Amino acid sequence: MIRGGKSYVTSPPAFSNDGKKLLVCTAETVSVFSTSTGLQITSLEGHTALVTTVIVVPAWNPASKILCFCWTASLDGTIRYWDFAAPELMKTIDVKIPIISMVIPSILVQPSMESEKRPDLFAYLSTEDVKESKEEGNALRRQIRKCNLSKSRLVGLILGEVKQQVVLTVSPSAKYFGLKNKCKLQIWKVPAKDSDNAIVKKISLHHTKKISVLAFHPNQRIVAAGDVTGRILIWRLFGDKTFSKNGEKNERPMDTGEEKPGVRGDDDADSCSTWHWHPAEVNVLSFSSDGAYLYSGGKEGVLVVWQLDTGKKKFLPRIGSPLLYFIDSPDPSLSSICCADNQIHLLKMPSMEILRTISGIKAPSSYHEMYKGLNNGVAFDHTAGLVALRTENYCIQLYSLFDDRGVSEVQVCERNHQPGDDVMVVVTLVALSFDGSVMSTAEIKLAEEGIGGLICLKFWTSGFQNKEFSLLTIVYEPHRDAAISAIAFHPSGHMAVSSSYGGDFKVWVCNNDNQKDQMLQNSSWTCHSVGSYKKKPMTAAAFSADGSVLAVAAETVITLWNPDKNVLLAVIGETLMPIVTLSFIGKSEYLVAASWGSKPQLSVWSMSKLSAAWSYRLQIEAVATAVDLSSFAALALLPESSNETTFQERDGLILLFNAKDAVPVATWSAKKAKGGALAFIQTNQSSTEEIGRDGTPPRALLAYVNGDHEYVLFDPYNKDVQELSISHKEIHATPEETGRARQFGYASIYGELPQFDLKRTDTSWTPSFPSERPWETIFSGSSHNLPPLTKLCLPFLESLLEKRTAAVE
Amino acid sequence: MAEIQPQQQTTLISKTFPIKPKLKAKPRTQSQTPESKYWSSFKLTQITNLISSIPSVSFSPSAPHVFAAAHSASLSFYSPLSLSDPDVAASSSISFSDVVSSLSFRHDGLLLAAANLSGLVQVFDVKTRTPLRRLRSHTRPVHFVRYPVLDKLHLVSGGDDAIVKYWDVAGESVVLDLVGHKDYVRCGDCSPVSGDMFVTGSYDHTVKVWDVRVENSRSVLEVNHGKPVEDVIYLPSGGLIATAGGNSVKIWDLIGGGRMVYCMESHNKTVTSICVGRVGRESGDESMQYRILSVGLDGYMKVFDYAKMKVTHSKRFPAPLMSVAFSLDCMTRVIGAANGTIFAGRRKKKEETVENEVRNILGFSSIAEPERRVLKPTYFRYFQRGQSEKPSEGDYLVMKTKKVKLAEHDKLLKKFRHREALVSALGGKNPENVVAVMEELVARKKLKKSVANLDHEELGLLLMFLQKHATMPRYSSLLMSLTEKVIEMRADDIRASDTLKGQIRNLKRSINEEIRIQQSLQEIQGIIAPLLRITGRR
Repeated sequence: MIRGGKSYVTSPPAFSNDGKKLLVCTAETVSVFSTSTGLQITSLEGHTALVTTVIVVPAWNPASKILCFCWTASLDGTIRYWDFAAPELMKTIDVKIPIISMVIPSILVQPSMESEKRPDLFAYLSTEDVKESKEEGNALRRQIRKCNLSKSRLVGLILGEVKQQVVLTVSPSAKYFGLKNKCKLQIWKVPAKDSDNAIVKKISLHHTKKISVLAFHPNQRIVAAGDVTGRILIWRLFGDKTFSKNGEKNERPMDTGEEKPGVRGDDDADSCSTWHWHPAEVNVLSFSSDGAYLYSGGKEGVLVVWQLDTGKKKFLPRIGSPLLYFIDSPDPSLSSICCADNQIHLLKMPSMEILRTISGIKAPSSYHEMYKGLNNGVAFDHTAGLVALRTENYCIQLYSLFDDRGVSEVQVCERNHQPGDDVMVVVTLVALSFDGSVMSTAEIKLAEEGIGGLICLKFWTSGFQNKEFSLLTIVYEPHRDAAISAIAFHPSGHMAVSSSYGGDFKVWVCNNDNQKDQMLQNSSWTCHSVGSYKKKPMTAAAFSADGSVLAVAAETVITLWNPDKNVLLAVIGETLMPIVTLSFIGKSEYLVAASWGSKPQLSVWSMSKLSAAWSYRLQIEAVATAVDLSSFAALALLPESSNETTFQERDGLILLFNAKDAVPVATWSAKKAKGGALAFIQTNQSSTEEIGRDGTPPRALLAYVNGDHEYVLFDPYNKDVQELSISHKEIHATPEETGRARQFGYASIYGELPQFDLKRTDTSWTPSFPSERPWETIFSGSSHNLPPLTKLCLPFLESLLEKRTAAVE
Repeated sequence: MAEIQPQQQTTLISKTFPIKPKLKAKPRTQSQTPESKYWSSFKLTQITNLISSIPSVSFSPSAPHVFAAAHSASLSFYSPLSLSDPDVAASSSISFSDVVSSLSFRHDGLLLAAANLSGLVQVFDVKTRTPLRRLRSHTRPVHFVRYPVLDKLHLVSGGDDAIVKYWDVAGESVVLDLVGHKDYVRCGDCSPVSGDMFVTGSYDHTVKVWDVRVENSRSVLEVNHGKPVEDVIYLPSGGLIATAGGNSVKIWDLIGGGRMVYCMESHNKTVTSICVGRVGRESGDESMQYRILSVGLDGYMKVFDYAKMKVTHSKRFPAPLMSVAFSLDCMTRVIGAANGTIFAGRRKKKEETVENEVRNILGFSSIAEPERRVLKPTYFRYFQRGQSEKPSEGDYLVMKTKKVKLAEHDKLLKKFRHREALVSALGGKNPENVVAVMEELVARKKLKKSVANLDHEELGLLLMFLQKHATMPRYSSLLMSLTEKVIEMRADDIRASDTLKGQIRNLKRSINEEIRIQQSLQEIQGIIAPLLRITGRR
């Protein structure tokens, strides 16, 4: 089983001391990437919940630069200490409270004396106490706590409480740490000599807008904060009064009437200045290591470099996605930015060129809800194990499921994406041919008050090995102004069909002149034929496995066509609601259709009888079929009502059916099934090594991509894998059945149901039956393995004779 | 030579996309085949100052391939190198007592034979234009005279007396009278492989092959073209002949006993003249292949590939054509028309080499260039030194990143100055760009706003554009709805200004025009639709 597609940008990553590795929090693991190749090296596994913080222990002399230690904190309430070169877990501190954020100020400063006994290491945590909140019934208690890492215990002291989840920020000088709390900043001074009971002093700085991010200057007493409207505020010399009272002597005479430009009320700061460039919320603020520049970025996807003294700006524009974090590396020529579309870009620093990108799977675009009639829009390359996803910046991302990394990106519309703008251009559909060499996309340009809407159908082709797609043909308004409902490819890849809500479908053929070996230049897609059925909207289309039959759903009925001659062969009908998904089940004579709406339905139709075989009343999100299988998998959404109590966030079921049989062969429950997708992926050599541990490579793997584009690959027929699978729950509620009566519930993956186990043993036992016709096999095998002919002769002749017992019976 | 590409940005990030207009549909068949491109690469020059029809043109076989054209009672020589001049004048001409009907260069290009309608055949020295011999024996007008390809001493001529004469030029005497044609002899050609064989065509529909070695002066072979034969040529192999007569050109296999190989009937009127042409290119599939060039009274010149039996190129001229000739170096093609125009076509390429040859002939040798002075920082050239250096083999080439060319409106769109971008595009000439900018503005949801922000002059510009292009089918889907919106939004401004009112009037007129066209188209459709339905029923 392979899992992947995790988000790389839940928490800020961290560079190793030599700048050659990047530690990225990926769900419950920390993945270590190489910055020179952008590929994953290793991962730290041990946490059981989301890892929220990773802190690399800095090195203070060149010799220790090779040391690779880091602290991680997680929502599972533990703090762990790792050697990430090995990788090896060194220490675990269980604080039993989910940690949202952690800072360790004292490791940032160089230990002053070697001889002196090392002082205790203190961490400051932002925690979320779940238990107490449940008892008290009021809002969650989120506290700022202190933890003694050396003695592995939580200090009783509670520094403060906040209303929402906050991220702590520590100053590089290790003297202060702070957090944003609605419209104010709270800053604590780290005691010079830290102990369990050291008093930690605090000031607050106020602002009129909600603050979104803050950053400390590396060597001066300056703090910068960004707010939701895009302003950047810079307080200089904060905390003069509070922090220096009883420590060193206050040099400046405190004058209450002194001018404090920009500072609100009696906030403890010398001055406050405001910079405004960002049009939207500022998410990223970071001072450069020498303190001369300030990096800022936000929702509009532009990295701005401010010269701190003059306020002059430099830009890295058109990143195309909201920025989340900016991380400086110990190597001055390298830094990284994390974007909301799950990409981590490594920047070559003074010039701000993008060196390479650690490309995670891109999240589904937010216009799913906006634009109706969109299905999940995920296409699979069944042979290469790729998934093609529509992304927000008008691209198709090709993501390798086996390698868990982005392969390439195809810019479908040549436009720059502005994250803040209204979406007016939507890539609605993507389809890949069976061998993955041809891709088709449909895009729609929404009209501005009736002006200038446009629908485009594009055909792309890729080279033999690489997945760099190049544009072959653009068809403007393929079905006049009606939107395209589905695109499907012929198994050969030289024919495609597009169906439209406007009531017709078109068969496209690729005509290329192979004579001159100039495939790319000469081939193009042209319309081969047009068909319609009673002017009904065509809602789905599919080719049969051998390509001889084209099925197009005309709302509630299924029309079968000969794609070459454009002749209507048969009409099968009809369902209650319009069909949205249509698929032939591999070798079998069945066709599976799913319809949405108020009466959703999963129906299987027999092609030989031209009638419905069986059906369920299920809300089906996706259907997966394979060319060489007689079974199919369906992803069903559970009804809303049963969701909360029974399944604990699991809102979907993956059902594996045999086409002839209405009883599912296997069932798994899944999280975030809305917007999910399913597909059978053919295994190749590289992947079987990982999966087929018992030596027999599985026929096909089932890939499930959920609504957040996390995915899992597993063998649906292997029992061992089923135990590892994502679902561990037995399903109690059975959806309403419209077909035959059923005797037992969904088979569970644990094999708890005796029937299920029985079947397994039956099937494993059957092949060992002695053959009825031994003469066919008795001489097979290499000659040196065969017994001498004299010995073989007798059984051979015997086998040719008819057994009397059989005759009698 | 290794090439190092500039570091390609694998990510699409931070890249700008210039606005591009929608693509146009490409025709499914290529508009021009490579061969057709070659045949149309002859740059046409018209020589118009001649009086009457041009019955014969001929190229000198020797470089620089001067050509001679017969017109009325004179014969003019032209140099192909002078064709680039706008008004080409004959380099020299010879006058005759009667209308010149046919002319032929000897294969060394030194002598020229010309026949006229008085029945006289004259031989001239090409360089001095002096008449050397007068061959008089024909009693009727002579229409055909030809030098044998491999023979310097004899001539073949034929005329309206239906007799073909084989002349001894030096002695001005007839060697053989070849009798056999029953009507005017109008054409003929000598075999490229034998000095003794030639072919003549006559108005009695027959083409006869003669061999002077045959004793009884009878034709060796005879083929019937079926129409009065206007022209006959030997194809370069010597085994095939092509005959022109009526609307057809026929190809005959002489070795196979006069079997017809192919009949090309792509002319609409009588084919008057044919000649052998050649695709004079070194590269490509068709390089150095022979073609038949035929011209006819329908004004068409057709190029016929007799290997594939296919017309590969066709070109229309504005006059009935009488004669055609093609130079041996494949650089020049001359067509004589019935109205006294010569359409001379010449290819541009290789002209320099030809010029060099000419220079060498004329005795100019290239003058040694003055020695290069050592570059010092006081010269401006010092700072440009080495910039035009070509990479040598083994050098590593580091390619420069290609700069994205951004138009004015692209730059403005990058800065989100939408109205200025629209105005800048409107100021340009290309309507496609304007529509592309409008589409981009729609995609940014800013078109309405930028229309609302236009001032009076800019609005006038927009209205002018809309008036011009709103009815174009390619743009109308966008522009019609935009026009409505503009008028609706800016009604007050339009009312206030007289010039804008005038433009609205124009716009209204063009829209009305379009509506009328659409209505008439619908009427036609109404007529056709029942017919189609009836035919579909059968």
